[in-house]
Amino acid sequence: MGLDLDACISQLLQKQLLAESLIKEICEKTKELLMRESNVIHISAPVTVVGDIHGQFYDLIEIFRIGGYCPYTNYLFLGDYVDRGLFSIETISLLTCLKLRYPERVQLVRGNHESRAVTQTYGFYTECVRKYGNTNVWHYFTDMFDYLTLSVVIDDKIFCVHGGLSPSIHSIDQIKTLDRFREIPHEGPMADLVWSDPDQDKDEFAISPRGAGYTFGGEVVKKFLHINGMSHILRAHQLCMEGYQVLYDDRLSTVWSAPNYCYRCGNMASILEVGVNGERFFNVFDAAPENDRESSRPMASERLENVLYFL
Amino acid sequence: MSILPTEFRIPRKEILTRDDLAKFHESEAYEEFLNFIVRLNNSVKGLPLSTECHVSQVVQHMLEVLNTVNSYCDEIPPLHNKQSRYGNPAFRDFYDRIAKNADEIHENLLLPQAAIQEVSRYFIESWGNKKRIDYGTGHEANFAVWLLCFEKLGLIGPDDHVALVLKVFQKYIEIMRNLQFKYWLEPAGSHGVWGLDDYHFLPFMFGSAQLTGHKYIRPKSIHDTDIVDEYSKDFMYLACIKFINSVKTESLRWSSPMIDDISGVKTWAKINEGMVKMYKGEVLSKLPIMQHFMFGSLIRFEGSGATLVAADDEEDEYNHIHVHAFGQEFPECCGIRVPSAIGAKIVAGQGVPRRLPFD
Repeated sequence: MGLDLDACISQLLQKQLLAESLIKEICEKTKELLMRESNVIHISAPVTVVGDIHGQFYDLIEIFRIGGYCPYTNYLFLGDYVDRGLFSIETISLLTCLKLRYPERVQLVRGNHESRAVTQTYGFYTECVRKYGNTNVWHYFTDMFDYLTLSVVIDDKIFCVHGGLSPSIHSIDQIKTLDRFREIPHEGPMADLVWSDPDQDKDEFAISPRGAGYTFGGEVVKKFLHINGMSHILRAHQLCMEGYQVLYDDRLSTVWSAPNYCYRCGNMASILEVGVNGERFFNVFDAAPENDRESSRPMASERLENVLYFL
Repeated sequence: MSILPTEFRIPRKEILTRDDLAKFHESEAYEEFLNFIVRLNNSVKGLPLSTECHVSQVVQHMLEVLNTVNSYCDEIPPLHNKQSRYGNPAFRDFYDRIAKNADEIHENLLLPQAAIQEVSRYFIESWGNKKRIDYGTGHEANFAVWLLCFEKLGLIGPDDHVALVLKVFQKYIEIMRNLQFKYWLEPAGSHGVWGLDDYHFLPFMFGSAQLTGHKYIRPKSIHDTDIVDEYSKDFMYLACIKFINSVKTESLRWSSPMIDDISGVKTWAKINEGMVKMYKGEVLSKLPIMQHFMFGSLIRFEGSGATLVAADDEEDEYNHIHVHAFGQEFPECCGIRVPSAIGAKIVAGQGVPRRLPFD
């Protein structure tokens, strides 16, 4: 019997996990699909751009409520689907199924958390072990992450990436020549694209206090846009209290889509709707009401590995 | 009686690779630090914060120093800045004020003049990261090392341990809570819901020690808001729960499943034992945290020396180094200024270990 993606999607929309064997098959198929995609995918507006989600599944559902469901709305997700939140598996399972079901209408860019090293520290690994009892699902997903694209260009005008720019990349064509089918390296252009941040106080590139990627200033942005004939850079990667931030005379925007981040930061979130004439509208939203419901908590039988310290 | 080093030195990072960390775990410095934490922990078993205890002159001065720091926090209001993303940039002024006054702050602590620069470096690092405007268990550990320095110098001893935890450390945590609220410090390397807490570890350890053997308050009492409200002034663990309840908009079960799980453990003694094991496993064994741990003459350790080659991620100043754009057949100058250390690394090529990044 073939893979019934619609059934998987409706199961996930009810926040029910898919069977391990199904995840394996979905990840295999998604790898084949992603393998054929360029490191720079060209798409057309209208499209709705989503920033970091970090396993906040109910807020992802809220995004579909606000922005429209697939395939009626085109979506571009800018990475950081997993870690920190309670429902990384549900989140990445749903997004993967949507990508496989509607490959032209859903784009998934790689974030710095779509990595073996990072997910082992920040929760996704723990969550996989806790919810599936073994590491298989974590392996299927992290192997698939190696195939995610690095960037998207909307209507030849807006360059979209998870983190930011790299001092070794001047022209977008240079991104196309990277060998991206691998774990995110510690340094080099691929690391920079997923790790870098803008810094308003600088003009040029500088060492990032994160210890990976760079910070980059207004002059770097101007030059990059000029060389590539573009008008705007769109990225995620940094928490913004208002859900978004626009810098450098409207040349760069940050979109952040995890409201009340880690269930504590009290921040707003947004999705960015890019219209056919290039107009940009930040649709701001707050945490989804389901987050408050006690019943939404994972089953009490799912104990954290760390509790072993207390036995 | 500890042997004083002949020469003090400004602490620096020595752990870069897994091998360095393994070597550190075998070292005297590790033994000393862990031992110190455990002795502090054991000294407050069963003792509420209100316990009358011996306060030596040095400890009294430490408390005054902390009051000074707290007054900086009061005097430096958060900046109202729409451009501000999350962490408030006024924190940088606060941090600079501590760094600038560090020597003066340390004058009254009876330290040998020559030791001030070494000891004060740990103090400065205790409040968070200036650039990222964040805070985590690594910064908290710096405060514990700061206390250990005084013990190594013979200025405090076992008689002071109760006061170090119940007065000095407690005061430090109070100030940290102020800073976290006031300047919106980002949780450094938070594991989100999958960790113990966004910022702290030690108050959970010391706090569970305080509750060990308590007649009425059980681990599951953290779910009783009346008990938490009533006893949070006496027990650090409950103060932590109160703090979480106040900042997290969701219930504890939802926002902190780990603390919820731990509340199912039968006794505080078991929890306290677990906290010590977990501190070893989740703080002292984690490379991203320990890469920032600093060593000088008092807490002495030498890594493989790889840190000397790796770029210092705190570095700010830079010179123009020519970078060759990736993927071009013929190298051509980019015209982009990049930090010198990065340039040096590009020249040196791949294979240099570097610190794990923050996110």
